Amino acid sequence: MTVTLKEMNGKKIMALAGEIDMSASPLLRKELMALVKKKTDPLLIDFENVSYIDSSGIATFVEGLKGMMAFGGKLKLAGMPSGVKEIFSFSKLDRVFEIYGSIDDAINS
Amino acid sequence: MKSCVVLTIPSDPQYLKVIRAVAGQVSIVAGMSVSEVDEVRSAVDEACSNVMKYAYRGNTERKIVVQFRIIKDKFEVIIEDDGIKASPEAIKGRDLDDIRPGGLGIHLIKRAFDSMSFDKRKKRGNRLKLIKHTRG
Repeated sequence: MTVTLKEMNGKKIMALAGEIDMSASPLLRKELMALVKKKTDPLLIDFENVSYIDSSGIATFVEGLKGMMAFGGKLKLAGMPSGVKEIFSFSKLDRVFEIYGSIDDAINS
Repeated sequence: MKSCVVLTIPSDPQYLKVIRAVAGQVSIVAGMSVSEVDEVRSAVDEACSNVMKYAYRGNTERKIVVQFRIIKDKFEVIIEDDGIKASPEAIKGRDLDDIRPGGLGIHLIKRAFDSMSFDKRKKRGNRLKLIKHTRG
């Protein structure tokens, strides 16, 4: 998994690529929680190039969401391929996360 | 039809991608649908992650043996380690309505397989047997 940080229209985007599993989650957690700690708001996550996510990846995003909610920040997930989105809906997390079809939709929200 | 694929991997999370690849390919050979293949791949990943995390407590130098068996009307995955014994009664996922980190892996395993059980006869370590009934 790779993590790329970028900015569009003044909004911070964390673009992820590859597979998010137990070997990748520590890096994801480090990068995500660093932005949460800085109170980056809103924080957009681009999933377009993510091909797989396991429960450790999901847990990392739940932790990130809780950190964002603690200061009233918005964590927006975007561009999920169907397999990744399916895991979020199976775990009923599509009810608590703001999920957008594309990163452009998330930027314009 | 009866066939068996056996894979031994180090207990290092970097090798989860290897186990996922093999789980996916064997599921295809077993005739599963695209969604079933995805579910099996995810479930086997979660089960092996649990071995690395709980049985081996993060030690990356142990081994995990995974057997995939295609038998007439069922698909079995047997995962063996020689780490700390699991307490099957303590293994339960979170209520999916309870939004918190963790506790999802067991749901992903149960979603893919019709049964999961630990072999009590195994003296040292764990032998987890996952069974999915197939159309045969």
